[in-house]
Amino acid sequence: MKKLLIFFIGVAVVLAGWNASRHNWYDREENELRMVYSGEVTTLNYLTAATANEISLAVNFVDSLVEYDRFGGIKPCLATEWNTSEDGTIWTFKIRKGVKWVTHEGKVYGKLVAQDFVDGLKYVLTSENNSRTANIVYSVIKNAKEYYNKEITDFNEIGIKALDEYTLQYTLNKPVPYFLSILNYLCFFPVKGQFLEEVGDRFGTDNRYILYNGPYVMINYEPHHRRVLEKNEYYWDKDNVYIQRITMTYNKEANVLAPEMFLRGEIDHVGIGTDIIHEWMNNPVKRNLIRPNRTNFFSYFFLFNFNPQFSEEYEPVNWLVAVNNRNFRKSIFHAMDRKSAMLTEEPYEPEKRLLNTITPRNFISAGKIDYTQLEPLSKFTNRDSFDEKLALTYKNKAIEELKGKVSFPVKILMPYNAASRQWANRVQVIEQQLEGVLGKDYIDIIIEPNPPTGFLERVRDSGKYALMELNWGADFADPETYTHPFRRDSTSSWIHMARGYEGENGYTIYENLVQRAADEVMDINKRYQLFAEAEAFLIEEAFVIPYSVGGGGYAASRINPFEISYSPFGAVSGRFKGLKLLKTPMSMDEYNLLYKQWERERSERLKGAEK
Amino acid sequence: MIRYISSRLIQSVITLFAVLTIVFMLMRLMPVEGYLGESYDKLDEIQREKIIENLGLKDPIHVQLKKFYKRVASGDLGVSIAYRPGVPVAEILKSKIPYSLGFGIASLSISIISGITLGIFMADSEGKILKRVGNIYIILINSIPAAIYYILIQFYITDIFKLPMLFYIDRPISWILPVLSLSLGTTATYALWMKRYMVDELNKDYVKLAMAKGLKRREVMKKHVFLNAFVPMIQYLPSSILFTISGSIYIESLYSIPGMGGLLVEAVQRQDNPLVEAIVLIYSSIGIIGMLAGDVLMAILDPRIKLGKREGRI
Repeated sequence: MKKLLIFFIGVAVVLAGWNASRHNWYDREENELRMVYSGEVTTLNYLTAATANEISLAVNFVDSLVEYDRFGGIKPCLATEWNTSEDGTIWTFKIRKGVKWVTHEGKVYGKLVAQDFVDGLKYVLTSENNSRTANIVYSVIKNAKEYYNKEITDFNEIGIKALDEYTLQYTLNKPVPYFLSILNYLCFFPVKGQFLEEVGDRFGTDNRYILYNGPYVMINYEPHHRRVLEKNEYYWDKDNVYIQRITMTYNKEANVLAPEMFLRGEIDHVGIGTDIIHEWMNNPVKRNLIRPNRTNFFSYFFLFNFNPQFSEEYEPVNWLVAVNNRNFRKSIFHAMDRKSAMLTEEPYEPEKRLLNTITPRNFISAGKIDYTQLEPLSKFTNRDSFDEKLALTYKNKAIEELKGKVSFPVKILMPYNAASRQWANRVQVIEQQLEGVLGKDYIDIIIEPNPPTGFLERVRDSGKYALMELNWGADFADPETYTHPFRRDSTSSWIHMARGYEGENGYTIYENLVQRAADEVMDINKRYQLFAEAEAFLIEEAFVIPYSVGGGGYAASRINPFEISYSPFGAVSGRFKGLKLLKTPMSMDEYNLLYKQWERERSERLKGAEK
Repeated sequence: MIRYISSRLIQSVITLFAVLTIVFMLMRLMPVEGYLGESYDKLDEIQREKIIENLGLKDPIHVQLKKFYKRVASGDLGVSIAYRPGVPVAEILKSKIPYSLGFGIASLSISIISGITLGIFMADSEGKILKRVGNIYIILINSIPAAIYYILIQFYITDIFKLPMLFYIDRPISWILPVLSLSLGTTATYALWMKRYMVDELNKDYVKLAMAKGLKRREVMKKHVFLNAFVPMIQYLPSSILFTISGSIYIESLYSIPGMGGLLVEAVQRQDNPLVEAIVLIYSSIGIIGMLAGDVLMAILDPRIKLGKREGRI
């Protein structure tokens, strides 16, 4: 037995030694980008998909009519030129000639024509296909909603026509100033009708069942294992595609394993989470391998609930009286030290993530002025809302006004999704911090962990919160998009039920301000100004406490984030077109230098556009 | 025995029917939000209604149940609605089962051979080094959470021997660590039980008598002790083999093996009703068949065990 054991161990050692000397797993194809991911897509059907993972993959396979350059400017893509009617309701596009659809094997299937966009829209608006983005289409395209609801059955009545092989025309419900930005969404992407017929229900179920006209073709797709993207040799703009192959390996434990794989040279890009950032920052070698990530345009904010539906034990009636008092809301607004909360996830530069408005900085500009710098919004943009003295002043006023009407301390129910560790950390800090500033005799914050299953529907949309963190991402290039979570038809907010804000026509003051802005479709600068006034009102009256932008964090990466398309909305994130692989990982200093350079160039570009 | 098997099969079908019905009903109690997925926030009311309607969830529960029975009876496992929408469930399972089965069978084979061998030597080597080493191994494996030694193996062994950290189908060298990691725990279990049964047998009178009669210890061990000790272990062998298809949640996650491990959990989380129902159907069937096969195998190997009404049930 002993001999046998020694023999086996000997063989194992020799084999391993031979393997180690023969193979180097760090080798890779030249110009190959290797990544590990932990969130698998459920579908490749870009006409129905709406999640970030699915969008970021699909944008590498199919192009849109227009695309964004690296400064956020719109430029031609599958459309070479376009024009709009005088009333702004008819948009006509000239489709690029010579664009080819190819299969996953890289074989040419056919040419791109205007009808492909019509076929794509028809698929999206056929309700049986369960497109998650159909509402984006029917919010702007004439008769689209009626078709989706089966009130119209003839698709020719819908506001999209292929006038000839290379001319496409959209007819809108009403003038939409941000229409070009909406075209960047997957629901406006083309599809070959003939191919749809061939594959039927299998469309988009794996890499064989879609066609490609974008920068990459997915040559291998094994869900929960590996994806391989190869440069599309028939791509119309292939000179701007620099990375030949992208290999993405799935690993559910990527946050644990991927940093080590990066250090061993097995992958080229990895996110460095909060749990290990200190270790990397304090290690002189690792520190030089990391750089910040760019923030995105998700806006996070705390919302007061004017329609409390939570349990009696948290005193909803008492809450309703308190929350309808402006000074009470203002006391909490100014007492919340958002920086303390942010330190739980961004310990080094929390200020970079904080947001003082609902609309993020650099989202959109009115001429040369950033939207958040428009009056009266700028007074919030340029000032931290945390002000202990002011908070106590408002507290005293609130106590005076609420004496005899409210029993103190007012119970404030703050639920959170227990699946999010960061959220849990955040609410704990906020509870201690707010009670510390305002006193436990004034407020009693109750943080409530909730299971993730059905959380939004069961807690948020059911009104089972007093104060809660919510978030919203932009749907199009217009400040109107950030008013959606506060609309009367929103499922999660009830600010229209706040007392004392009734306006004309049965709508609230805020609703009237928003409507006035939305009605202005010809003068864009005026439109933005009006939206800025509405947003300032929302913050001034402390219906909402702006908190932060999304994204951020750190990465060890051979990717330069300033080379890719830049846009706050639509299908842009995750696009590899234009990216080059760096020889060494980007450092903090390099990032900061490139960021300043990018900002300078963007500012010059905006000035140029203004002229 | 045929009568016994037939009766067990009938009971099994009834059990299976009850399990499926319960799971079907429980899945219908899940919140609507789960059926709308991550894009829940961006959908308007019209879309939400249409999607729920298209999934057939607006039908009365008895209509849904009838459709479900009809589908299962015709051998159709349905189409995934969330895990991979539009893909037949059978296709999803077909792509995953070979991975779990391959790794499971390989690790089980290693475990059975090494575990039983180790158990025999430990029972037969009182006070010897192998027994001590075996005991230390069993104690360590049972006292350290598997997740810890799995990840230590993955981090350090791959570094020392320059092996890939993840599994790649086209690199057989990357298959070794997942198989070895998987087999560590079961090897200890087999060794422990084999040793225990062997020691039990060694202390029985018939063994002492055989030794007293002058039979060689090796012969007694081989012909009597081993066989008698092995019979109780054989009962669980069919189930163990069949259940390899369920995969290992942790090993498959760590090494990126696209097997069955964690599929049921993910299907439940995503509220993919057809997928959940299909997996439950398969696992329940395996459990039932495995237990039956274990009983039959024991009866075949041990002539003292009789199955059937007249001979008395076990």
